[in-house]
This record gives sequence, structure tokens and C-alpha cells, in this order.
Amino acid sequence: MLHKEGIIGNFENDIKQHELLIHKVCRMYARLPDDRKDLFQEIVIQLWKAYPGFRGDAKLSTWMYRVSLNTAITHLRRQRTGAGAELLRIDAIHEIPDQEEDARWQEMYKAIEQLNHVEKAVVMLYLEEKPYNEMEEIIGISTGAIRVKMSRIKKKLRLLIKNN
Amino acid sequence: MELDDLKQTWNTQTNDNTLNNDTLMQMIQHNSTGPLVGLKKAFSKQYRFIIIVAVFVLLQLTHGFTSINVIMFTFYAALCAGLAYFFYSNYRLVKRMEKMDMEMKTTIQQQISLLETRLQWHLTAVRIALLVFIALIEILPLFQHSRMIDKWHILPAYIRILIYAGLIALQYFASRSISRRKYGNYLAHLKELATQLQ
Repeated sequence: MLHKEGIIGNFENDIKQHELLIHKVCRMYARLPDDRKDLFQEIVIQLWKAYPGFRGDAKLSTWMYRVSLNTAITHLRRQRTGAGAELLRIDAIHEIPDQEEDARWQEMYKAIEQLNHVEKAVVMLYLEEKPYNEMEEIIGISTGAIRVKMSRIKKKLRLLIKNN
Repeated sequence: MELDDLKQTWNTQTNDNTLNNDTLMQMIQHNSTGPLVGLKKAFSKQYRFIIIVAVFVLLQLTHGFTSINVIMFTFYAALCAGLAYFFYSNYRLVKRMEKMDMEMKTTIQQQISLLETRLQWHLTAVRIALLVFIALIEILPLFQHSRMIDKWHILPAYIRILIYAGLIALQYFASRSISRRKYGNYLAHLKELATQLQ
């Protein structure tokens, strides 16, 4: 009983410490607030299920990215559409200086929205400034392949922005 | 605008609302709504089915071992044992598919492999069950008489064989169609993800 309470306590602390990580994954993969909520809950459930098996072989954040991204890409097969659907939304402290700048940001978000599931994962880890070897631990493809993918994604984003 | 320009904003993101312990505990009490829920439900139905079959066999035994033919009982026992093993394998498979803490590529590859194995197993198991059923209908009259089976055996052998062949063909197409309807989309989605990970 005490052991279980200890696990619950540790889990609560770890989730709270990395809560933003889960929110970021949800913002990247779900467009509707309800979808985000569902995905957030599903990620927490999967983290809880996997938590007893976490042995500390990888960093906690690396392990959490794996569970969160795996859940997001396998869970969200059908995106709900319709009223309330939003572009990738970033609630940031950083102020966007003016309207023109804001429009450029929107173009970038719109382009990211058009990437496939795996490309979104790569972009997210890149934005998180994860080193390539950690990306390899999360995604499971070699550092070289990730670099190539990243370069292709940047080109694709430029093209998407241009076409949009 | 380049992707790198987004880094600063990305890394100053804030939470919509902060979790508290109660909310977190409520969340983990919920059942998963993931794609494996369907498989788990199917497993649960199969589990109930094996209990019904086992109870049926036990009831047959309580009516006296002498009244039931030894061959019939052997068939039942073999069928029960086969089904129990099949359902246990399914249970283990779903448990393995639930593992989400591996690298993304490994997770996707494992899910594809496990799901394909499961579908193949299902197809084979249903076919074996059907063959056992046909064998029972054909062998039973040699040892025991029942009005229904005797009526069936009035039909000429070639008509019975044609009907059996039709049943086997129907089972093949029905099983494939059900599998495709139930898991086809998910499998296709996983394969698409595997391609993206190349």
C-alpha cells in the first residue's frame, strides 16, 4: 500500500514537472480543444500504465516524449473538423510585435499543420532544441537520417509557406 | 520566416491550466480510448465465450460419462484447450501492443507485426474450429445417433461436401472482411507511419 502511494506520489511530481511537454504534444497533434483534452488524458493514462516499467535507462523527459509521441501518432487517426478547429496554437510569454509579424507566424503554423505525423515529431523535438542523439533515442532512426529529414522538412516548410 | 525563428517563442510557452493531484488521479482512473480498446473488448468477449464452452462441457460430464461418447468428449476437450490457448495468446498480444515507451519506430514496427500475426492467427483458428465442426458432424453418426444429424446425413455425400466447401470459402471471405473492417484502417495507418519513419 505504502509502495503504491509512493509510486503515485512520484508519478504526480514527474507529471507536474513535465506537464508543459504533454501540452506541447497535444497542441502539435490536435486541432480542436476537445481533441487536445482527450489526447492529454490518453497520454496521462499511457504514462501511468508505463510508469512502473520506467527504470531510468533514459532521461525521464526522453521517456515521456516517447510515450507522448507514440500515443499521439497512434491515437489520433481521425481528426474532428468543423467549428472550433484551430491552427497550432502557442500560448507564449513572448509578445508578437506587430500584425505583419503575426501574419508571418500564422503562415509558419499553418505550414507545420500540413506536415505528416513523423515530420511534426521531428519539428517539435527540433524546436525543443533536443540534441540529435536524443532525437534518435526518441524516434528510433539514426542521427544521419534525422539530419536529412530535418533538412527536407525545412525545405518543405519554405515551399508550403510560399504556396500558402 | 524560418523554423529557427519559432524556437524562441516555442520555448516560452505556458500552460493553459495547471494540473492538480485530484485532476491527475481522476484522469488515470479513466479507461483508455485508444485504438487497442477494440481489441481488448474482443478479447473480453472471447473470454466469456470460453467460459460458456467450458461450462457446457462440464454439464455434459455431470450427465454421466457413459452417455457421452469418448470421441465427442475428446473433441470438446481439444477444442476448449485450443480456444483457451488462442485467447491467452490474444491477451498477451494486446498487452505487448499496449507498450508505448519504446522508440517510435520500434513501437510502430512491433504494432504492425503483432496485429498482422493476430489477424493471421484469428483466420487460422476460425478455420480449424470450422473443420472440427465438420469432422464432428461426419464422424458422430458412426458412434451416436441424433435426429438432426441423421436428417443431415440423408443428403448425398457430394452435396454435403459442396456445402462444407461453401462454408469454408464463406468463412475465409467473411473473416477477411471482418478483420479488414475492424482493424484494416488502423493497420493502414500504422503502415503509413512506418513509411514516414523510413
